[in-house]
Amino acid sequence: MSVAINGTNGITYNDGSLQPSAPVGKNLIINGNMTIDQRNSGSVTTPGNNIYTLDRWQTGLSQSSKYSVQQVVDAPSGFYNSIKATVLATVSLGATDYFMLKHKIEGYNVADLNFGTASPETITLSFWVKSSVTGTFGGGIQNSSEARGYAFNYTISSASTWEYKTVTLTGDTTGTWDKTTGTGLWLNLALGVGTTYSKTVGSWGAGPVLGATGATNLLATGSATIQFTGVQLEVNTTATPFEHLQYGQQLALCQRYYQRFVSDASYTAFATGLCTTTTQMICALKYTTTMRASPTLTQSNTGINIQSQIATASIGTSYLGKDSAFIPVNVSSGLTAGNAGLWNANNNAAAYVELNSEL
Amino acid sequence: MIKYKKLLNFDGTEADCIKLVKDNQEYIIPFSPDNTDYQEYLEWVAEGNTPEEAK
Repeated sequence: MSVAINGTNGITYNDGSLQPSAPVGKNLIINGNMTIDQRNSGSVTTPGNNIYTLDRWQTGLSQSSKYSVQQVVDAPSGFYNSIKATVLATVSLGATDYFMLKHKIEGYNVADLNFGTASPETITLSFWVKSSVTGTFGGGIQNSSEARGYAFNYTISSASTWEYKTVTLTGDTTGTWDKTTGTGLWLNLALGVGTTYSKTVGSWGAGPVLGATGATNLLATGSATIQFTGVQLEVNTTATPFEHLQYGQQLALCQRYYQRFVSDASYTAFATGLCTTTTQMICALKYTTTMRASPTLTQSNTGINIQSQIATASIGTSYLGKDSAFIPVNVSSGLTAGNAGLWNANNNAAAYVELNSEL
Repeated sequence: MIKYKKLLNFDGTEADCIKLVKDNQEYIIPFSPDNTDYQEYLEWVAEGNTPEEAK
């Protein structure tokens, strides 16, 4: 068997097949190409602090209503979507101000990096970025407790032009790094960070590390924008091509942390149930995939169908596991104990049931 | 406005979940140590706040 390794094309096997990039699973970032947006479906949002926007991408902000976030169809060749942050109001940064996009990686997925040991892996972050503002921008990688962190920076040379950036670093030899269901590693892409949380680039040190010392403050410029896509974090000394997953694969990875059962039609059913009184039906809901932790449950515009339609008044004491849930749905009246029913969209195509176990 | 309310099991004992009402939306939060909403609830209690009793 002969194998040809070419720096441009990748690996060509003797049957002529080509493997242009490393094996599946190399990218530790989920939804790095910004294709999944279960919560907002591409609508612009002005989120508060620690709010998830596109799947797996969370805000970090010290002042509200200063920037919006949106999934947009604007990306470099080889991509379709990007995440876009737009400045809504300018901010002159105070020492403790911070504005950023965060991505938290579950401990199980970074346990093999061996951070916090004498032999940590070298990792490489790569991404595409486009901003209306040029300059040196920053970011940080830190552990769950923010006790340890590493600042990095990169330069945007041309305004409103997609540019490819890479950052390579050797992992931390100290600190406590979660290796199970907590936050194992935390990536910050800074929009603007004050001096307290900005650190010198290129070495591990005490955190929090949200950005890089001397980096550009995007929020100094009204209506400024910055976009990211193709974000990849891999165990490697150099960046390799982005690992493109099929949409369904990427969605399934996101659903470990957040699942939205959407209606898309007037009376879509979410679960079957048994009426126990005239005002309550108990339902069994099986999740799409096993979740990271027992999730928080909420719903919007659901109802119970017993050949007639009754709006949900509230959700009762629920038993929420990682794979399934026992959910009592309450209505004002109209049920018959012992009869079956459907927990469904209450004549509302925008109805949903939401399960959240984000980091 | 954030309001937490205790919930009861079928037998009347206190349930291992709590209801959060926030921005007119209800959330059922399980008492799971890995659930970040539960972690926030514990912080809220640690600050001296008390959830509404179940009725």
